[in-house]
Amino acid sequence: MASIIEVKDLVKRYGDFTAVAGISFSVEKGETFGILGPNGAGKTTTLEIIEGLKRPTSGTVILDGKNVDKETDAVKEVIGVQLQASTFFENLNLVELIDTFASLYGRKVDPMQLLHEVELTDKAKSQAKELSGGQRQRLSIAIGLVNDPKVLFLDEPTTGLDPQARRHLWDLIRAIKKRGTTVVITTHYMDEAEILCDRVAIMDGGKIIELSTPKKLIEKLLATGFSKPVMQQQANLEDVFLNLTGHALRE
Amino acid sequence: MYTTYKLTIASLKMFLRSRQALFFTLFMPLMIMLIFGYIGFDKPTSIDVGLVTHNPNATTAQFIAEVKKLPTFAIHEGTLEEEKAQLDQGNRSVILDVPDSTIPAAKGETAQPITAYTNAGKAAESGAVLSILNQAIDQLTFSQAHVTPIVSVQKQEVNSHNLRYIEFLLPGLIALSIMQMSVFSVAFVFTQYKEKGTLKRLLATPMKPIQFVVANTITRLIVSVAQAAIFIIAGILLFHAHVVGSYLLLFLIVVLGAIMFLGLGYTISGLAKTTDSVPAIANLIVFPMLFLGGTFFSISQMPWWLQMIAKYLPLTFFSTALRDVWTKGAGIHDVAWNLLAMIIWGVVLISLATVTFRFQEKDSA
Repeated sequence: MASIIEVKDLVKRYGDFTAVAGISFSVEKGETFGILGPNGAGKTTTLEIIEGLKRPTSGTVILDGKNVDKETDAVKEVIGVQLQASTFFENLNLVELIDTFASLYGRKVDPMQLLHEVELTDKAKSQAKELSGGQRQRLSIAIGLVNDPKVLFLDEPTTGLDPQARRHLWDLIRAIKKRGTTVVITTHYMDEAEILCDRVAIMDGGKIIELSTPKKLIEKLLATGFSKPVMQQQANLEDVFLNLTGHALRE
Repeated sequence: MYTTYKLTIASLKMFLRSRQALFFTLFMPLMIMLIFGYIGFDKPTSIDVGLVTHNPNATTAQFIAEVKKLPTFAIHEGTLEEEKAQLDQGNRSVILDVPDSTIPAAKGETAQPITAYTNAGKAAESGAVLSILNQAIDQLTFSQAHVTPIVSVQKQEVNSHNLRYIEFLLPGLIALSIMQMSVFSVAFVFTQYKEKGTLKRLLATPMKPIQFVVANTITRLIVSVAQAAIFIIAGILLFHAHVVGSYLLLFLIVVLGAIMFLGLGYTISGLAKTTDSVPAIANLIVFPMLFLGGTFFSISQMPWWLQMIAKYLPLTFFSTALRDVWTKGAGIHDVAWNLLAMIIWGVVLISLATVTFRFQEKDSA
């Protein structure tokens, strides 16, 4: 399997503080790769370096055969990003936003088709400032797909969403994966990583402490004699919630 | 080019949909124009005169009637006490106390003089009142004595183009409103983009920062031309203003002035960390120019040391150039020095902007 991203000995220092302390990993084409870790682990910094938004202190990143540091513009053509905190031009409506972003790649796209994928067609003529948190996340992803990217980077995409919205977003990410797009996602929701990701890298303190498939990681833990103190139930409270309030998107 | 074109369209739409932008760009300057235009600073104001009469005889009563008809007198009648109280408060320039026999009814009666209580603080106006009064009295004297004055003066009115205040104000207001728009709309908008991460998101695309800056600049240049046009049309329609010089030259100066102040706007957005600090920094620079930039009154009315500073302010060059073309029909040669000064200021401010203005933190790609 070809790897579409190769990170080698990546280091990022801000003065005395080391955000990324020398990490190496590769992402296979078409896989959904998760980077897990607590806040401050260095996930966002790593992602931003691969996206070409920050320059590494040392190390290399090769994306789709191109060196990110040296051929940044070429890399930007083939990636899509959804940043953790970004607002869009609040006074434009969704169709205009998608249109404008498409033009940054020199492209013309069908905004309604993209909005359909993220279930925002009924908000097509609404201005960005009228959207709720969940709708903004979906808009973010739609805009990230505007150039039909080879790699889509999602930085904590479901933070702050209610259970319905989270599940819908997971479905969306699975659909994107089905198209053959490689997805790199950072999160600190373990269930999300377990459900979505083919492989997961666990980061802490700027280092990767483990990298494997979720299944293998759990097996490895169980092999050490770990057992969960609480009795396993067939259902949990989230199942109750969804059962009571329904699976449909509220907003 | 396609990218920059689409970005310009988007930027224009965003500007026109922003109520804040429209308020400061159009509404506020128009309000200033209407207020200052209709107050009429150069209409001759009438002088407040207190008139105290008692029981005038027939001839005196006739005289009093004539006095009331004198132009520019705003006559207030009352008792001496009442009028003196008003004088104390500064509401009168002169009180005229007219005795009953100012003009004796019968021969042999002595004429009693009119007592004029003058407001020492309004020397010019009280002097004017007395002068007009004395002139009226002289005329009365001559006609009574059937004597013609030795020398007569005939007034011949010459139709010179008098600069009304509104015509002084309008070009200044255009310069002012373009300054406000260029500085504040850029500074606010870009600092907000910086704060909210909008610019960062854009950097993840192949877009070059300069394309975005050009798009926003073109938008504001279009707006500044529209602003000038609106002021010119409003001035002609509402105040019968007359533009003596070339419209083309006016708009050329407008564009140059806008570019100059856009440089300032970008510089401030580079310096400000949050949108809260934008008004603080921007007003520090813009507010003094409001008064010293030759908008509301000519800088020649300032003390010499203040003039030394005011002379070299960017707004002063801008408003002076506009005014010379509007009111005196100056050609491009006449305003060449002003234009050169504006170009120099523009180069300085744009250079400053390239140093301070960043899409994101320095350390990034």
